Amino acid sequence: MKWIALIAVTLTGSLLLVGVGDFPEWGDAHSAANEGPKLESGEQIATAVSQSFLTDTDELTQVPNVVTAVLADYRGYDTMFETVVIFAAGLAIFAILRVFGGDEVKPMRAPEDDTFCEGDHSRIIIGTTCKLLIPIIQLFALYVIAHGHHSPGGGFQGGVIMGASFILLAIARDLKSALDWFSEKTFMRLASVGILIYAGFGVLCQFFERNFLDYGALKTVMFSSEQMARSYAMLGVEIGVAFTVTAIMFAIYANLSSRGELKQGL
Amino acid sequence: MENAIVIISMALICVGMLFFLGAAVGIQRFPDFYTRMHAAGKGDTLSSLLVILGFSIFQIYDLEFSKDWFSHNGVTLLVILKLLAICVFIMMTSPTSTHALMDAGWEDGIEPKLKKDKPNNALKEDRK
Amino acid sequence: MIPIFDYILLIFLIVAAVISLKVKDLLSASMVFGIYSFLICLLWAEMGAVDVAFTEAAVGAGVSAVFLIATVYNTKRRSSD
Repeated sequence: MKWIALIAVTLTGSLLLVGVGDFPEWGDAHSAANEGPKLESGEQIATAVSQSFLTDTDELTQVPNVVTAVLADYRGYDTMFETVVIFAAGLAIFAILRVFGGDEVKPMRAPEDDTFCEGDHSRIIIGTTCKLLIPIIQLFALYVIAHGHHSPGGGFQGGVIMGASFILLAIARDLKSALDWFSEKTFMRLASVGILIYAGFGVLCQFFERNFLDYGALKTVMFSSEQMARSYAMLGVEIGVAFTVTAIMFAIYANLSSRGELKQGL
Repeated sequence: MENAIVIISMALICVGMLFFLGAAVGIQRFPDFYTRMHAAGKGDTLSSLLVILGFSIFQIYDLEFSKDWFSHNGVTLLVILKLLAICVFIMMTSPTSTHALMDAGWEDGIEPKLKKDKPNNALKEDRK
Repeated sequence: MIPIFDYILLIFLIVAAVISLKVKDLLSASMVFGIYSFLICLLWAEMGAVDVAFTEAAVGAGVSAVFLIATVYNTKRRSSD
């Protein structure tokens, strides 16, 4: 069985390597992707799509970071279903692992005593550092989400960092105190609300007789020009993505670490 | 002035690299888990701090001193500020993570390597 | 883009990938997988794809390592093959 797998992997890998040979040189200015398609005689028939992304994006959407504009506007439909894939992953983990009921597990610390920083000397240092760091991490996550128009970042990255801050809380204390902040009801609702926000922006455009996710239609709602409406709508969409990703990241961790009982983590 | 900035930043980065080397050698050569973590934690923290401080001092090179220098140098100042923020972050997280690893090792029952004539009864009592 | 730096990173990348497949201890394998993620993040950042590198650093090295360790903790630690 191992040998069959090895042969299959080697064959696929060598086919991919043969395919690489047809690629243009790295950074070749005259390749089809950078210059646009050409006729056999060398006549230019159109400029390349990538070129128009680079030159027109700032004018059309007022977003300096081209990657965010492409991700949230030009291929917004694709990104919406990427978010749905993450949501489906969370639902799959929930459906496979989540166990209701079961034995009552005694929590590592009683929930009412908030002596997180006193007593139990081995927890003092970790507890204090987490108390200091978690607000900073969450602030950074919000910065990444909101500043995705101007610098690398956006909904996915910011959402993952936000979810990681809750995971840090769950590792440093126990799962129960993280679930007090961010209960199962909240995160499953938040995951659905995120996708609803994204799809809501798309449907809202249809009310103004434009295509699904054609944000330019929202200029009357946003009280601004069509370009700025695109920029604002992208921010809204990124926030929706961030909601879903935050919730699903924490949901996956909570289910994986507690064997689906959500009682006692690692 | 400009030469001094370059020399100071280069010196900081080189000293940081030296401490990185020391940390790596320490991880290889020390006998047991706790001494290895000691080398890794201390050497790593100090060397990262030194290297990033060197970067932030090198960024002063890009500042232009003119009349309304604050509006000209916004980007450079932001870079320096971000690097210093990373310094603060490393100073908080790196020792804590070392401590957490040590603590996990102790709870897992890793014995520290002691001298042969020294009984480690005290350690065993502490574990209970 | 510095070619020699790229080649060194690629060699380390292959070494990390092979180690994470070969190692019997699954906890070590997931740690080496985190190293692999950081290396590929560095490679992407160095090639100019900063957005992708940021995603890899957050998802690949940060969260997925935690997921793998949580899974190893709740299943068995030794690989069977």
